[in-house]
Amino acid sequence: MVQYDITLNLNLRIEQVLIPNATELKLDMKITDHNIENIDIINASDQGVLISFANFDPQDAILLSRVLGQKILENAQAGVLDAIPGMNNLLICYDCLTVSHQQIVKLALDLALGIDSDSHQDSRLWRLPVCYGDAFGLDLDDVAAQKGLTADDVINRHLANELTVAIMGFLPGLAYMKGVDDSLYVPRRSSPRQHVPALSLGIAMDQTVIYPLASPGGWNLIGRVPFRPFDPDRADPVLFRAGDRIRFHAINKAEYDDLYQAAANGEDIITCEITSKQSTGKQSTGKQSIEAK
Amino acid sequence: MRQIEIITAGPHTSIQDAGRIGHQALGVPEGGALDPVSMRFANALVGNALGQSVLEVCMGGLTFRPITDCRIALTGTKDGYLSLQDETGFNLDVPSYRSVAIKAGRLVRLGILPDSNTATIAIAGGFDLPLLFDSMATSPNAMIGGVEGRLLKDGDMIALGDDETPDMAEFQLAPPEDHNGPIRIVYGPQDDRFTAAAKENLITTPYQITPVLNRMGMRLDGMALAHIDNADIPSDGIVKGSIQVPGNGIPIILMADHQTTGGYTKIATVISADLPKLARMRPGQSITFQSISVNQAEEIAKKTEHDVVQAIHAMMPAPPIIDTAALYGLGDTT
Repeated sequence: MVQYDITLNLNLRIEQVLIPNATELKLDMKITDHNIENIDIINASDQGVLISFANFDPQDAILLSRVLGQKILENAQAGVLDAIPGMNNLLICYDCLTVSHQQIVKLALDLALGIDSDSHQDSRLWRLPVCYGDAFGLDLDDVAAQKGLTADDVINRHLANELTVAIMGFLPGLAYMKGVDDSLYVPRRSSPRQHVPALSLGIAMDQTVIYPLASPGGWNLIGRVPFRPFDPDRADPVLFRAGDRIRFHAINKAEYDDLYQAAANGEDIITCEITSKQSTGKQSTGKQSIEAK
Repeated sequence: MRQIEIITAGPHTSIQDAGRIGHQALGVPEGGALDPVSMRFANALVGNALGQSVLEVCMGGLTFRPITDCRIALTGTKDGYLSLQDETGFNLDVPSYRSVAIKAGRLVRLGILPDSNTATIAIAGGFDLPLLFDSMATSPNAMIGGVEGRLLKDGDMIALGDDETPDMAEFQLAPPEDHNGPIRIVYGPQDDRFTAAAKENLITTPYQITPVLNRMGMRLDGMALAHIDNADIPSDGIVKGSIQVPGNGIPIILMADHQTTGGYTKIATVISADLPKLARMRPGQSITFQSISVNQAEEIAKKTEHDVVQAIHAMMPAPPIIDTAALYGLGDTT
């Protein structure tokens, strides 16, 4: 009998496989002198400047926020403390003893100008095991009942779509994964649970989350994963990044126990496929294994 | 081994430092000291780097026992003091804003804070705890940092870092006076989602701090702030001091351990210079808000920082505390 002890240090290794021509979300537009005026600039006192893409297509807005955030952090302007992508916006946190909000606004607009479909980060695709139902999926039957489906229907529809990490937030390593099938659209539970076990997988609206830690929470729990999205003892403590693509596959309880134990023993249990653009713009293939400890 | 034993942790005591900067895009909260100015003063007094890890004591009620000789300093409270006690019951009271070298085995007690909600105790050498994103700061809701990611509890043994200046003289400093007026805010990011009356109410009517407060935020009581339509927004990032107003119209000021992103409207944001004062305010106290521009907020931040740096530069040698018990060899455990 495997004990689910979240204090266990899972020595999780991540295998990275570089593959060419993977599908990825594409930005179909470009920030030019014409549409840059549609960017809204909003202040968060002397600590933050919110760059809002609310006037853009929602799909573009989320990509623009992410790409601009990347550029801001890479630019490493003194006094820039953080860049936090939101659903259609980017919050740039700054130290006003070093830079002014005017300088931050100028930096953001300079970097935004010229963002186009080539401005992307590498595309990463995770293939993640989930054990659905029973003790791990306390709300599976309830979701099925709400939607007039069987529990198996819910599982199959949840497996059907590739999801994309829209933003990170709430807890360290918690990814809001968008793209869940419309037929599974349910609100969050009207009374949140005081204690959701770590590694629980929940759905609500068009999204899926995996609780990296035990926490209060209101998402509808349908399964659990055997790996840790957040592990302070790992070299890279947070597994996911905004923009990552996610595919789930179902495992049974025996497989879950094996994987959980394997991860605890330091074996590879999940893989991430990376589509990498080299500086020449050429796709490269190759295989590398990273031991993330 | 240099360490301290927590005898009575008190309701809300944790290890803090300057926090985790630059990882909020991964959902990792910034965290860190609620009152970073008091943290810097306390560290300066014991000869530490200003961002070294410290004890943050909300409400008070902490008793600990150093297992080694060490130097400590209390800040963040003017009227609170450290009570040093040896095994014979001999008591010595040490005021705040000065350092004091103490012998191993003394009990160090900080009672219920009379004038502040957040006090800081620095110990020379800081703490020796695991770093996560270059910080030891405890964010209890994220379960990271400090001792096992939680508030301290009775019986914790916490390792100390090396004291680089064990023979240092004692120092004292005079903290700058708090801005004696309303808490200053800048409207936004989502003030356009509120009625004109709500925006007016925020700066013309008083709000009380309720007992619903912790490192994540403080709930206020006062005139409800009405939305034009509803409280939902596309999630955006959050800075400390954001005044978030959910659907019920009751404002919550988000503090150091705020979540990294949120989906509720924020009517205004407290300026950075007033956050330490806010962290020291107590339940039942009344707040009024004053609206200023971002330019003004940035100027005030620079002026405030200047005053803080000046206060540290003006640090003076303090008269020695005569540890009479040590003098008579009572309760000397070394």
